[in-house]
Amino acid sequence: MKLMILAFAGLTLAVGPACAQQASAPAGNVENGKTLYVQTGCYQCHGYAGQGAPMTGPRVSRTEFPFEGFLFQLRHPVSQMPPYQATILSDQDAADLYAYLRQMPAPRDPKSIPLLKAGR
Amino acid sequence: MAESELAALHRRRFLKGMVVAGGASITAPAAAQSRTPEKPNGNASPPTAAARANEREHPPEVDRLTTEKSGSDFMVDVCKTLNLDYIASCPGSTFRGLQESFINYGQNKRPEWLTCLHEEVSVGMAHGYAKVAGKPMAAMVHGTVGTQHAAMAIYNAYCDRVPVIIFTGNAGALNERRPGVEWFHSVQDGAATVRDFVKWDDSPMSLQHFAESTVRGYALACAQPPGPVFIVADTKLQEDPLDEREQRRLKIPRLVTPSQPIGDANAVREAAKMLVAAEAPVIIADRYARSQAAMDQLVRLAELLQAPVVDNRSRMNMPNTHYLCQSERAGGLIASADCILSLEPVDLYGQLNAMRDQLERTEISKAKAGVKVITISTRDLLVHSNYQGFQRYVSADINITADAQTTLPFLIEAVQREISSGGKNSIAMRGEKMREAYDGFAERARAEAVLAWDTTPISSARMYMELWEQLKQEDWALVSDGDFSSRWPHRLWPLEKHYRFIGGSGGYGVGYQPTAALGAALAHRDAGGRVVVGITGDGEFNMAPHTLWTAAHHGIPYLTIIQNNRAYHQEVMHVQRMANRHNRGLRNVHIGTTIDNPNIDYAKIAQAYGAVGIGPISDPNDLSEAFRKGIAAVKAGQPALVDVVMQPR
Repeated sequence: MKLMILAFAGLTLAVGPACAQQASAPAGNVENGKTLYVQTGCYQCHGYAGQGAPMTGPRVSRTEFPFEGFLFQLRHPVSQMPPYQATILSDQDAADLYAYLRQMPAPRDPKSIPLLKAGR
Repeated sequence: MAESELAALHRRRFLKGMVVAGGASITAPAAAQSRTPEKPNGNASPPTAAARANEREHPPEVDRLTTEKSGSDFMVDVCKTLNLDYIASCPGSTFRGLQESFINYGQNKRPEWLTCLHEEVSVGMAHGYAKVAGKPMAAMVHGTVGTQHAAMAIYNAYCDRVPVIIFTGNAGALNERRPGVEWFHSVQDGAATVRDFVKWDDSPMSLQHFAESTVRGYALACAQPPGPVFIVADTKLQEDPLDEREQRRLKIPRLVTPSQPIGDANAVREAAKMLVAAEAPVIIADRYARSQAAMDQLVRLAELLQAPVVDNRSRMNMPNTHYLCQSERAGGLIASADCILSLEPVDLYGQLNAMRDQLERTEISKAKAGVKVITISTRDLLVHSNYQGFQRYVSADINITADAQTTLPFLIEAVQREISSGGKNSIAMRGEKMREAYDGFAERARAEAVLAWDTTPISSARMYMELWEQLKQEDWALVSDGDFSSRWPHRLWPLEKHYRFIGGSGGYGVGYQPTAALGAALAHRDAGGRVVVGITGDGEFNMAPHTLWTAAHHGIPYLTIIQNNRAYHQEVMHVQRMANRHNRGLRNVHIGTTIDNPNIDYAKIAQAYGAVGIGPISDPNDLSEAFRKGIAAVKAGQPALVDVVMQPR
């Protein structure tokens, strides 16, 4: 198990530009991915916009993980994330989810939001 | 026998007859007593000398129905010596004597009696109050059933190390109990239910005993580490008459505020050496600061060492406007630290180690091997066996059992001496790195805040920044924990004063938030009318929505914002984890965890309790106006609520 964790950690560190990783991902159905994102409870920890939350789960919107890393994390989470085995989320479902996350809209520039200029 | 004595004897007979005859005499005892006794029948023979003598030796039993002074009056005298401004209570017959004495004999002043609609509110309110006021208030709970209601709130206060003075009543002797209900509400040991999680309890056997136990209890509650104390006031002691002779014998001990324990001088000196010698020291602050002065001391120590501070937010410890407040990179700092100073830790083991919540529970150390650990804490001075809030054991290199706040000036002095004698060039360089890291925090937080800025349900980031826009020009205080809403207030708001924030529940007993907010708002009101805001989850609010009635009734203004994710969201995630672990899919995780179908209208609830209710707000663009109205109501002296339909975290 430790070896697998290390392997995954290495994989995440080796992440390259997003577009390069997308090329190796299987075709995914964005609409089905959107449905699965809610049905399988991804939003509970990562938020409806995939924005993440410090105590529950990181940002997944426009993920830059390669698909293989994404799938590995689903099946054998390196952290506190619950494992999603193929019996409840098939490889195709995972590809659909991945496609949905990848195409999420780019965030706005924080400087364009006056409210975010206030605060500390 | 003198005529006056005879008349008294006949009056006693007359009164006894009235009691037997019916309840009317009970409802008007004073009038009955003032009546002139009937003259003896003219045909009757006068009592013989023998009859008079017999009556004097064996006077007939006559019930005394009223008294001008009772034991409970003296109990009030005791409480009035203790700097108690308030006593919160949901009424209960086991303390009826005390209640009547507080509101009449005590003129309902210092302490003022506050009406709560559940004992959990009485104690939770006192919990929040103490963290702002810096002194305890009292709660009065009914014997047995009221104590059971109060138990979770007492546990939170105990875990959070907060002083609360709790009184209850109990009919101890069986011949003093009325048949029926009073037996159900009587116990052998009135404090047994809560003994595991109070700092001290007592069941005084006399009024003198009550005086000493109550003064002792107050002093113990405030001595570090503070905690709730529980005093059982026997109903007979409360209700029995107190004659002048007995009263003259009673003495109320003078309350002496205890000095707090300071760390051993040698240990403090060794700690200073260790900190100054370190290349990468880190300070972790938990339940450290009880005052602005304590915050200033922490800043002073951090600046001397140019050491980052990780504020765990159990109290307002370190201003997040200071570049050495580095809580946002706690993990990295702890991983690279060679010396950690932990001030009043709550769970140091959990801070230095991680356990995966998976089928196989694996652990890893988050700190590097050989890291030196120094703790300054009073936690070892209050450890009970049953409840496990003391967390796992950490073998510190220097474990100083002392009040961290009181000890810090001495540690600062020792660090100054150590620096001036040895000198450390690396200290200044360390500071530069901290400034660089700090500059990125707010920028990163803003970049994360925009990710769900326009979404519905509304994101927590958007909610907090819309609120900040309305709040920033006020003298404000946040009386809720930000951990369940992505810590946005600590990441995006400037928290630079001690009263801005009070930490969380301590024991994670759900129901703390609305109740503590009520008490905290009361203390802030008395401190000069700060605009108080408490953000509470919908699940938590439902534990005590009637706090708003108490707020409306007693004129305690504050804004409650419902972070309405329509679920016990933490439990949604737990059940989801189990469903994933068992490979059973997630279709049913909503069963028993969600709060919808029908959705609850919290604005209407607020209105029904006499507060201003606004919402539900589902469109982020409507937040601004809702908050503006809510804050305006608070500034006008009213409690207000805004219901915001939000994302889970």
